[in-house]
Amino acid sequence: MRTSSLRLQLLAWVVLPLAGLATINLWTSQRNALATADLVTDRMLVGSARAIAEQVAMADGVLDATIPPAAIEMFDTGDRDSVYYRVETAGGRLLTGYPDLPVAPGDKSIEAAYRDHPLRLATLGHAVVGAGADSPVMVTVGVTLAGHDAMVKRLWFSAFVQQLALVAIAGVFVLLGLRRGLAPLISLRDAVRSPSRSDLDPVDVPGAQSEIRPLIDALNAYMERVRAQMGAQRRFIANAAHQLRTPLALLSTQASYALRETATEARQEALVALQASSGKLARLAEQLLTLSRAEPGSRRPRADRIDLTEAARHVLETQAPAAIARKIDLGLEEAGPVAVIGDGTMLREMIVNLVDNALRYSTSGGSVTVRLATIDGEAVLTVADDGPGIPPEERDHVFERFYRVAGSTEEGSGLGLAIVREVVENAGGRVTLGDSAAGGLVVEVRLPLA
Amino acid sequence: MRLLLVEDNRELADWLGKTLRQANYVVDIVHDGEDVEHALAAGDHALVILDLALPRMGGLEVLRMLRARGNRVPVIVLTANASLDGRVKGLNEGADDYLAKPFQIEELEARIRVQLRRANDRTAPVVACGDLVFDTNTRLFSLGGEALALTPREHAVLEQLMIKAGRTVSKAALSAAIYDFENDADPSAIEIYVHRVRKKLEGSRVQITTLRGLGYLLRQDDLAP
Repeated sequence: MRTSSLRLQLLAWVVLPLAGLATINLWTSQRNALATADLVTDRMLVGSARAIAEQVAMADGVLDATIPPAAIEMFDTGDRDSVYYRVETAGGRLLTGYPDLPVAPGDKSIEAAYRDHPLRLATLGHAVVGAGADSPVMVTVGVTLAGHDAMVKRLWFSAFVQQLALVAIAGVFVLLGLRRGLAPLISLRDAVRSPSRSDLDPVDVPGAQSEIRPLIDALNAYMERVRAQMGAQRRFIANAAHQLRTPLALLSTQASYALRETATEARQEALVALQASSGKLARLAEQLLTLSRAEPGSRRPRADRIDLTEAARHVLETQAPAAIARKIDLGLEEAGPVAVIGDGTMLREMIVNLVDNALRYSTSGGSVTVRLATIDGEAVLTVADDGPGIPPEERDHVFERFYRVAGSTEEGSGLGLAIVREVVENAGGRVTLGDSAAGGLVVEVRLPLA
Repeated sequence: MRLLLVEDNRELADWLGKTLRQANYVVDIVHDGEDVEHALAAGDHALVILDLALPRMGGLEVLRMLRARGNRVPVIVLTANASLDGRVKGLNEGADDYLAKPFQIEELEARIRVQLRRANDRTAPVVACGDLVFDTNTRLFSLGGEALALTPREHAVLEQLMIKAGRTVSKAALSAAIYDFENDADPSAIEIYVHRVRKKLEGSRVQITTLRGLGYLLRQDDLAP
């Protein structure tokens, strides 16, 4: 994985283009410096040539060219430049100077090599009064390039330093700005990582920018969700522990009673009750487990193809002995397979809870009917009993975990309908309560058909 | 010794009742907080075992109401909520002791004994009158070092007289101590139980004296050899 640093990225994005611009700028400024140096040198060359030319005069009918010292000394800039000159007549007769010095054509100055030195030289034509065919005299002055180059260097170097300083200062400001800009992120990191944070309290980062604010808000919202889920989990565990305490106390009391009882019959009775209690406790544990499995995210959602009729038949067969023992008429009404998609184990557990509830609240001699049908393209499972039913004002609450209908004497766990609802909703269905024809409760479960 | 058990889980209430009766306590059971005051008024119980999670009127509320009316009956609170906060709250409301579910019956019984001892200003677990000894731990009588076999009713009568030894116990008080709500009090039957106990105490240095119109009195027989 390539780790990328925001600092390096931003630095690269700011400083590299800036450095590029600075390079272009340096290149142009070098050209400018060169042009400036050329111009200055050319003016000096022309000035020097003019000074020499003005000293050329007719003396005693002969053209005399005397070189004024100022014309040479003007090039003495401390760069040890050599100055060459050549004065000749229009006819090409050399009056003074270096005969092999090249001549610049026209008015333009040129660069040429002379005695293995690069030179810049200019030629000036000057009319001399009375010189006849010798006029105008041509004065050529050349100078080596040390002074010229030193000038270019000086002009260019200051520009170079300026550009470099600009880039460096820009880089420093980018880093400073980043440090300031990233400070809220750093403090967010520290706040999240802080060992003193035991709870998932919302993080507050004072001074966070509007760009970072959404990140903090999202993080806080996420933590809030996690916290809510953990809270629900914690409440559930506390409730579950609470629910287990009374049955455990019962179990221990029954065991103590049986241990102390000497009469065989009473002892037998206690042991039978003890067995029943441990069965109920096992059922409660099973329900708690089912509920924790039905919890979103606790189990990979399964999409089995389940025949509800077959599942219901299986559940009823298992529950039949309990129904017979209580003289309850337990029946199944079906018209062939009803296939749905869902978690098979959970759907079966849902039916177990519905039937178990119906049997629990039915009076001895009553009846419990499980019906399966396909209505309006939905699988419909109803479980009807002729027990006391649930008052309408309680119906919203009975699906809550551990909720028990007030005044109910039956020892339910308050989990059955909670399990039913969670399983049905996980399978994309819904569950409703109604009154049965016999005045008891009807639970109707609708699930999408497979 | 008559106890009132207030517990809404019927199965647990039934089996706790049975187990306590096994130990020769007379036990009344109510399942609802609202019935507690009435039951106490009718039964003159020596101690209340009170579950906190009750329908209609919660255990803490019952406790507050009892104490507000000046009822000082010892109360042992039973609860499924074992948190420190819950315990402190219960004790602050006037509970004498606190027991978290699930508990061992032995511990509940030991705490009952402590409360009863305290209520009767006793520190020793053994009560003696002449050569009759009652061990409140085992809840058994012995006479001259030998275990004394008694039916539950006889036990209740003798226990009541023993605890108040040397003082008069009215017929009504005896009746309240031995009958629970399931069995209608029958004052004439008291005489039969007293008679049977008397027979079992024959030849010992204690005797039950009848004070007509007042009741009964258990005392050491100074004239016996």
